[in-house]
Amino acid sequence: MKLYSLSILHKGPTKANLLKAAYDLSSFSFFQRSSVQEFMTFTSALIVERTTQGSRASVKEQEYLCHVYVRNDNLGAVVIADTEYPQRVCFTLLDKVLEEFSRQVDSIDWPSGNPDTINYKALDIHLSKYQNPREADAMTKVQAELDETKIILHNTMESLLERGEKLDDLVAKSEHLGNQSKAFYKTARKQN
Amino acid sequence: EVDVLVQRVVKDITNAFKRNPNIDEIGVIPCPEARYNRSPIVLVENKLGVESWCVKFLLPYVHNKLLLYRQRKHWLERDALVDITCTVLLLNPDFTTAWNVRKELLQCGVLNPEKDLYLGKLALTKFPKSPETWIHRRWVLQQILHQFSAVDVKQPHQGEAEQADAERGQELSEHLARTLHQEMKVCSEAACRYPSNYNAWSHRIWVLQHLAKGNVKVFHDELSSMRLWVSMHVSDHSGFHYRQFLLKELITELWQAPAGTTTASSQHQSSTGSSSSPLHQSHSQANGESPGAEAAAEEERQLSFSTLIQLFYAEMELCSDLIQSFPGHETLWSHRRNVFYLWQNL
Amino acid sequence: VKDVIIKPDAPSALLLDKHADYIAAYGSKKDDYEYTLSEYLRMSGIYWGLTVMDLMGQLPRMSRQEIIDFIKACQHECGGISASIGHDPHLLYTLSAVQILCLYDSVDTIDVDKVVDYVKGLQQEDGSFAGDKWGEIDTRFSFCAVATLALLGKMNTVNVDRAVQFVLSCMNFDGGFGCRPGSESHAGQIYCCTGFLALTGQLHQVNADLLGWWLCERQLPSGGLNGRPEKLPDVCYSWWVLASLKIIGRIHWIDKAKLRTFILACQDEETGGFADRPGDMVDPFHTLFGVAGLSLLGDEQIKPVNPVLCMPEDVLQRVGLQVDLLS
Ligand SMILES: CC(C)=CCC/C(C)=C/CC/C(C)=C/CC/C(C)=C/COP(=O)(O)OP(=O)(O)O
Repeated sequence: MKLYSLSILHKGPTKANLLKAAYDLSSFSFFQRSSVQEFMTFTSALIVERTTQGSRASVKEQEYLCHVYVRNDNLGAVVIADTEYPQRVCFTLLDKVLEEFSRQVDSIDWPSGNPDTINYKALDIHLSKYQNPREADAMTKVQAELDETKIILHNTMESLLERGEKLDDLVAKSEHLGNQSKAFYKTARKQN
Repeated sequence: EVDVLVQRVVKDITNAFKRNPNIDEIGVIPCPEARYNRSPIVLVENKLGVESWCVKFLLPYVHNKLLLYRQRKHWLERDALVDITCTVLLLNPDFTTAWNVRKELLQCGVLNPEKDLYLGKLALTKFPKSPETWIHRRWVLQQILHQFSAVDVKQPHQGEAEQADAERGQELSEHLARTLHQEMKVCSEAACRYPSNYNAWSHRIWVLQHLAKGNVKVFHDELSSMRLWVSMHVSDHSGFHYRQFLLKELITELWQAPAGTTTASSQHQSSTGSSSSPLHQSHSQANGESPGAEAAAEEERQLSFSTLIQLFYAEMELCSDLIQSFPGHETLWSHRRNVFYLWQNL
Repeated sequence: VKDVIIKPDAPSALLLDKHADYIAAYGSKKDDYEYTLSEYLRMSGIYWGLTVMDLMGQLPRMSRQEIIDFIKACQHECGGISASIGHDPHLLYTLSAVQILCLYDSVDTIDVDKVVDYVKGLQQEDGSFAGDKWGEIDTRFSFCAVATLALLGKMNTVNVDRAVQFVLSCMNFDGGFGCRPGSESHAGQIYCCTGFLALTGQLHQVNADLLGWWLCERQLPSGGLNGRPEKLPDVCYSWWVLASLKIIGRIHWIDKAKLRTFILACQDEETGGFADRPGDMVDPFHTLFGVAGLSLLGDEQIKPVNPVLCMPEDVLQRVGLQVDLLS
């Protein structure tokens, strides 16, 4: 089981804004890592944009699960994990980092911040500590606090999109994805 | 013009290996078009990358060249053969015949076993399940084993010759231990790159069966080093199967220990039904045997018996713990079934 | 649970014409990079394509003489047959070649005695078979050896008892079989081993209820079958698993309607052909096993397929090979 990325974003009126992110891409092949990272950032932003305030969701995309929590104050976080990683531990992690982040970073800075300007350093530590869920936290405690029925499950990224919208188009249009990443996306589809 | 390009690329690959003997991963870099005046072979941080645009020229070319050689329509020097099979196999490692050409080169001493184990290891970083790569590895390992047994079986000589033989034997057994360790690492890496990697795990079993037969320490070390791995890969049925293999081998060893006390082992083996419960067994033995030298053997038997009980206990605990922490995994339940099976069939 | 979701717009009717067109066109793409990549298994590739065409009643669309000449050119001095010209001989491709020649009723175009010698020469002391002269041992090769000999009517040229002993030594506590003694059970290996035991008349040696249970646990909520616990479903396992169940007389233990839905969803409506999973790229391998799986499920648009040899039943009748299964 593996956690690949953990990011904190601010959900604006139309776009989500990345505030801080941590990645563990060691299990990907070296020459794909930069593209994978761009895609994880792209996907995390897209998911926060399409998630309503005050809700939790898990989105399945191939062998990955993206777990998202957007709070009522528009602060959101996404963790991308494999399908083996326990869902409820992911949501504890999201609660925890959002809580810590909002204590350490003034909410005035959220709408306009970016990874370079935001001073919050704990994300990498959390990501690495939570790689082993059994060491990270008392797992049993979590169960009681989280009502799993409140988590929406999307079986594909597509189900987040609006009528007529296509993932391929969003990828093609994205300014945050480089050419190499777009080429990588094309080769990664319809194959295994 | 393609000829020139391809020949340069093959040479670039060969040179990359010369320049950096520590390359530890290969990969293709997504890149639809050539960049002017730049080699498509990239070397960064010990990783060797090929730009994707050139693969479709490179592979058919080296592929055809090798097949022409195989049909005796075109002669190739040994060095060229080494370079060409290397390029072919890094791009298409299931091309059986290319591995066979290398087997022949190995047999006539142009290549050495370590070099081929290294090439295979690199191919597995991009193609972690490639059956032919694993098959070739086993063949190479057999060659190393043959070298080893050739020295081993030699009759003891006198004086200096004996001394030299002993040294060579020592050297080889160290070599074998290193090889074993390296194989375990190659298998682990491939297992991490592709979940439930059948070929990687069955290779690992083969290696233990051939390079560590009856070596209880190796089996114990494997079992303990696998503990964390399976806890972090609770749906990897192959990883758990490997653990089941280790358990079974260890149980067999412990059940038969100490070696030489034939009464004990034959009694164990012939026992059937409910009377074969381990506790029952050890009592009935304690009764029937005479004191003296037997006492030491009996003590040893008790010791391996309690080790056995501990082994089962620890495994059941691990399994229960994982099932509770990670509900809903078929793999964990099938592991549980296997542990009960082993217990029942002692 | 690791599984796929079948979308509501996935294909649900069998597109036989498209599949025939797809296979007929496949061989004409010989310059493709992918075609070069798969040359090392060409003989099996041809067997997959021809068998699925025959099952669909479209064999005449393939170039018979060209293929027979190709096979002749692939037989080596030692009697073994290679995947393609210039490649080395191997049991895998020797079986495929013999299967093709049976489809074309022209086994005598190659040197049959030499094939038999080749197979015989690969049997080891312990009854196992090596895949080629380099000595790799695998229960797949035990199957290839006896299947080749059975098709040639020469089973008694090898030591069948020992061969059986070796295959049985690969049986596991779950009733399944692996590639070697001690190896994990795998649906593909189980197909080879149950097929082997059927050909050697030893099916009574399997624990059919135990193995049948393991096999039908391969069915996932989507209806598709995987090859081992907690793996994704794949159309080729609808063959390996289903054929094994048929061989041990337990095919009624799975949900046939759901499996059919899954297999049909793996078709590509545009290009024809089947993929491993819905939405993936199609290939001849999955196309054969998709169609053959549907045949085992009783689809009447497809010829009945033999579960042991994966060839049309009418061909085996012509060859005079009858294989008894468990009931
Ligand atoms: C006459 C016919 C149809 C076949 C000839 C006989 C043979 C060669 C059958 C092959 C059966 C087969 C598929 C064996 C399995 C080989 C194996 C151990 C594959 C391991 O692959 P995985 O690591 O499980 O890969 P996947 O995850 O892709 O399943």
